Order: sequence, then structure tokens, then C-alpha cells
Amino acid sequence: MKQQKKFSQQEEQHQQTAAQQAAPAPMEFETPEELLRHDAQQTVVPATIEARLAESAADLPPPARSWWRRLFGK
Amino acid sequence: MDRAHARLPSSEFADLYAEHSRAIYYLALRFLGDPEKAQDATHDVFLKAFRKMDQFRGEASWRTWIYRIAINHCRNLQQAWHGRHVFSNADESTWETVEARTDSPLRVLETKELGERIQKTLDALPDEYRLLLLLVADEELSYEQVAELTDQTPDAVRGKLHRARKAFAALFERTA
Repeated sequence: MKQQKKFSQQEEQHQQTAAQQAAPAPMEFETPEELLRHDAQQTVVPATIEARLAESAADLPPPARSWWRRLFGK
Repeated sequence: MDRAHARLPSSEFADLYAEHSRAIYYLALRFLGDPEKAQDATHDVFLKAFRKMDQFRGEASWRTWIYRIAINHCRNLQQAWHGRHVFSNADESTWETVEARTDSPLRVLETKELGERIQKTLDALPDEYRLLLLLVADEELSYEQVAELTDQTPDAVRGKLHRARKAFAALFERTA
């Protein structure tokens, strides 16, 4: 009985440690911009936008080179 | 055309999209607060850019040029939206007296709903503060470029940014 109690205490302690290890560490951001920068980096641009854009642009004439690019050869 | 095999029509435009689409999509997403509207807005902004590429003079960077198109587009959408709905977020004067600890960092314990918390916070800010914070968060933009994009002086940007940070911090704490 005593041995069983000891075992369940060890088990509980083991589970607590595992839970602590699994929990992500808190993040700190010095400024709102830093937080937004992090958020932006996590943001994935949906691939459907590029596909829609390609479809829409396909019906338009290709863009002409701008006058300053023609002038400076860029 | 097969969507999976769609290709952007010029290499210059494809480069423009590859380099700036994340910044523009993120601005639209957090400024408009709706992923579907943000997708439509990003599509429309780049399509406008494609049509106007010959008007790009090289006086500004591509980044600021396309940001200007995006800001105008998002503002127009917001105005159309506000014309049909009651405008609820507080104006700038409300935030003049807001109490917030700007010297302590923003702590995030749970990252799962971070996006929702950020959106709630931004939604409650005046449009001007929201835009300012989103632009300043882009490390590729200087204060001078942010000032140019928002039609004010760099000093005005710094002043408003201080108040915008305070307001954001106070509201963000409340979303925890």
C-alpha cells in the first residue's frame, strides 16, 4: 500500500515536470512594434492571392517600362 | 487557367510581389481585421501596382510606393465600411490620458490566441495609431518614410507613436 502511494507520488511529480517542460516559455516584447513584427513573421500569405493575381493580370497588357528606367537604362 | 500553374506575367512584377506581398498582406490583415478582405485588398493593390508600374519614378523605394497604394486602398475600404456602420473605436483624444506602463515589456504567456489579442487591440485603436504602429513595425521603413506615407513630419510621427504605444499597451493588457 505504502509502495503504491510512493509510486503514484513519483508518477504525479513526473507528470508535473513533463507538463512544465511542454509549456512554452513566456515571450516578452519591449514595444508593440516588436510584437507586431513577430506577428508579421508568423503570418503566411495565402497562395490563392498570387494565383488570382496571375489570372487577373493575364488579361492586361504587360507593364511598359517607366520613362526614368528607359532614360537611365535600369 | 489552372490556378496551381498560374504565373505572374513579368519577372519584375513577380519580384515585386515576392519581396513585398507579406508586408502588404499583413498591413491589410491587421488594418482591416478580416482575412478575406485582406486577401481581396492584397490582390487589388498588386493589380493596381501592375497597371501603374510605368508610373513608378524611382523617387521612392518600391516598398513605399506600394505601401502608398495599399494605404489609400485600405482607407477607402474603411471609409466605405464606416459609412454603412456605426464607428465605435475611440478618437485620439481618448488616449491622451490613458494610463499604461510603457517601460515594462508586453508579456505573452499563451501564443495560441496571440493573433486574436493583437487584432482586438488594434481594432480598438484609432485608425491613425493602428496604421502608425503597423508601419513602424516594418523594419525596412525609416521614420522619414513613415512620415511621408502618413503625410506628417517625422517629429509628429515620434510624438504620436509614443501615445500609440501607450494606448496599445493598455488595451493589450485588457485582452489577457
